[in-house]
Amino acid sequence: MKHTVVTTALTVGTVLALTACSGASGTASSGGFDPGNRVTMTVPFAAGGGSDLSGRAIAEGLKEVTGSTVTVSNLEGGSGAVGYSTFLGYEGKSDQLLATETAMMALPAVQDVEFTYEDFTPIMKLGDDYTIITVAEDSPFTSCTDVVEATRAGKVVAAVSGATSLDSIVFSLLEQDQDITFDRIPYESGGEVVAALLGGHVDVASLNPGEVTGQLESGDLRALCALAPERYDYPLLADVPTGLEEGIDVAFAQFRGFIAPGGISEEAMQYWVDMAKEYAQTDGYRQYIEDNYMQADAAYGVDFTAYLADYDADLKAGLGLG
Amino acid sequence: MIDNLMLGLETAATPQNLMWCFVGVLLGTAIGMLPGLGSTTGVAILLPATLTMEPVTALIMLAGIYYGCQYGSSISSILISTPGDSSSVVLTLDGYQMARKGRAGAALAISALSSFGAAIISLALLIALAAPVSSFALRFGPAENLAVILLGLATIVSFSGGNPVRGMTMAAAGILVSTVGVATGFSTARFTGGSVNLLSGIPFIEVMIGLFAIGEVLHQIRRGGERPIRTRFRDLVVRRSDIRRAIAPTLRGTGVGFGLGVLPGAGATLASFMSYGIEKQVSKNRSEIGSGAVEGVAAPEASNNAAANASFIPTLSLGIPGGGTTAVLLGGFVIFGLQPGPLLFETQPTLVWGLLVSFFFGNLMLLVLNLPLAPVFAQLLRLPYSYLYPVIVFTSMVGAFAIGNNLFSLWVVLAAGVVGYLMKMFDFPAAPFVLGLVLGPLFEKSLVQTSNLGDGNLLILFQQPISLTLTVAAIVLGAGPSLLRTITSRRADRAASDVAPDVASDAASAPVELDRR
Repeated sequence: MKHTVVTTALTVGTVLALTACSGASGTASSGGFDPGNRVTMTVPFAAGGGSDLSGRAIAEGLKEVTGSTVTVSNLEGGSGAVGYSTFLGYEGKSDQLLATETAMMALPAVQDVEFTYEDFTPIMKLGDDYTIITVAEDSPFTSCTDVVEATRAGKVVAAVSGATSLDSIVFSLLEQDQDITFDRIPYESGGEVVAALLGGHVDVASLNPGEVTGQLESGDLRALCALAPERYDYPLLADVPTGLEEGIDVAFAQFRGFIAPGGISEEAMQYWVDMAKEYAQTDGYRQYIEDNYMQADAAYGVDFTAYLADYDADLKAGLGLG
Repeated sequence: MIDNLMLGLETAATPQNLMWCFVGVLLGTAIGMLPGLGSTTGVAILLPATLTMEPVTALIMLAGIYYGCQYGSSISSILISTPGDSSSVVLTLDGYQMARKGRAGAALAISALSSFGAAIISLALLIALAAPVSSFALRFGPAENLAVILLGLATIVSFSGGNPVRGMTMAAAGILVSTVGVATGFSTARFTGGSVNLLSGIPFIEVMIGLFAIGEVLHQIRRGGERPIRTRFRDLVVRRSDIRRAIAPTLRGTGVGFGLGVLPGAGATLASFMSYGIEKQVSKNRSEIGSGAVEGVAAPEASNNAAANASFIPTLSLGIPGGGTTAVLLGGFVIFGLQPGPLLFETQPTLVWGLLVSFFFGNLMLLVLNLPLAPVFAQLLRLPYSYLYPVIVFTSMVGAFAIGNNLFSLWVVLAAGVVGYLMKMFDFPAAPFVLGLVLGPLFEKSLVQTSNLGDGNLLILFQQPISLTLTVAAIVLGAGPSLLRTITSRRADRAASDVAPDVASDAASAPVELDRR
């Protein structure tokens, strides 16, 4: 299903009336720069997914601190390629934002796309989202070591949610680290991957905790190990060992955040960084990080850019491209 | 069960919730009627506006928009051959033909009644069977989904009227066009010519608007001299015999819609096409279907409503969206601080049961809203075409622009309009093309997945009971009618050769016979 989500004054007058009621307060002052009353947050993935949730949370938060209307627009397709490529065309427009994640780094690394992170203006990294190796309740695997052993003995089918998605990269890193091979079945979202696990169509998946907490709580899925540097603090995941504890040296996170197009003015960038810092102080931000079982680790502007440079190197090294 | 229903009733029947339910279904009907603005877009646009409400109230209203759209989108299909949503494309066949015959009021009433019937039956099934059905739906992996899509493609034979070859050609063309863009599991662009707009493929909603709305307007202008449809009041009202004829197709449509709606993916659209195809095979009045038969309205309309309700099963009981709109609704759950997943029924009984019971009220409101309005809407066709055409073109363009907020959509609509006009002129059916376009990406995805799963061997389709059954059904449905014809024509040949022994009855005569029909 392809659907793009926009607000259009012409079509549903009532919509405007209703959104106006939920309007926000707050002031905007940063060297006199004003992005205008209508800001668009592009989400390069379909509505309902992890990127969509983060995009909507950020949009809501920014609405609160800026007073501008922030509209979410889903521009999905090509594992994010469509959204980022379209965003490339917004150069210089400081009322355009994009909810970014790993695809911004992975797509240029492995595919023929026209953009790299250097074409954009990084504003804020919200935090890190690691993955946990997950299996169905009735799976024979009880640890990540089991999974690795099984790939050596025969065929293990792994679900991935896209050619250049985080889980796909994590499985590549796992393959390199352990010198093994998974059989991969491509899906289009974390939701589809969860359904495939539950239905027993695939053996193993590498999912963000936020995508599976409901299933982990109910016991329909089991977490084997977290591919993160440290164990999670969240009670639900505190007992899940890290990969390193099982001798798997893979810890790779999805970062989430937002960027502005390239070529925007210094004032515009400063304005968004200031707003981002204000957003990080809100309950909405803390709630988002907790709801999605992420590690809060915010970075802004040039610091975010520096983080991306390191990330790019790690990613390419991990994929054997560096 | 009774306790849960009472709890749901208590929640859903508060004045506030009833009011928002009404607002939801009313907005849904309006959004559904506008071409291009489907339920997914409608719910996503209005989601932020509900953030200040109680979660259950907000979800009741958003769900109301969803099924309200299913009612609304058929209205424009029937009246002006402009589907509001892809699941109403099929209504442009018999629904529009009924309207051309001056029976628009009856078609609208039948559509509302069968929608209501399907909604109530599927809701009862949803409440009674959510848990077992959702675990059954999980058994649909890549191979099973591929088989379902094959089954859907096989129904194309039923759409092609007298000429299956043309129908299949158009379906194949649709699939071919759907390969533009980036495919599942890969990141390389195909046939985009470097255009960013084409990376996500040729947008099917825009194509649909162009093919049907603009194509029909151009076609009518070429024929010229059409006078507005004058209808007698008697014809505006639904007859008892119409309702009687609609019962069986509604039940069959509900069954098909419910079954397919539970599976994530094509859901409502595929269901409406398939149930129409089934009517063409089994209905008593199958010869009339295609030229304005009640059955051709009731069955697809019932199935797309049943599918909409059924898509709530994986959404509520597993936390896995059953389609585009429920995916947006799930996003709403998270925004409201609710954790979707298998425990939702246990942790949020008030919310879940309140939501489900509100469906009853919402559908009742829609019926009460739509039945009296049917003859009123039908009056629209009394407008002279010189007034009607600009309105159709205008709403189509506005709808298309609203989808992507860019001018590219308008070019797609115009191009598809010209193609639609040519297709009408040379008598190529448009519905199979749309089906091909919608199913193409899903077909390719399941094909890649199934092939990966079977290490490149597609015989995996025949190794599991569900996919085996469905694949065999697809083959029977696809090849059956022509096989049947071949056999009967051979018999005829044999009979002929009995009379005149020198007439050769070789196999080659069969296809010739086929072409002639």
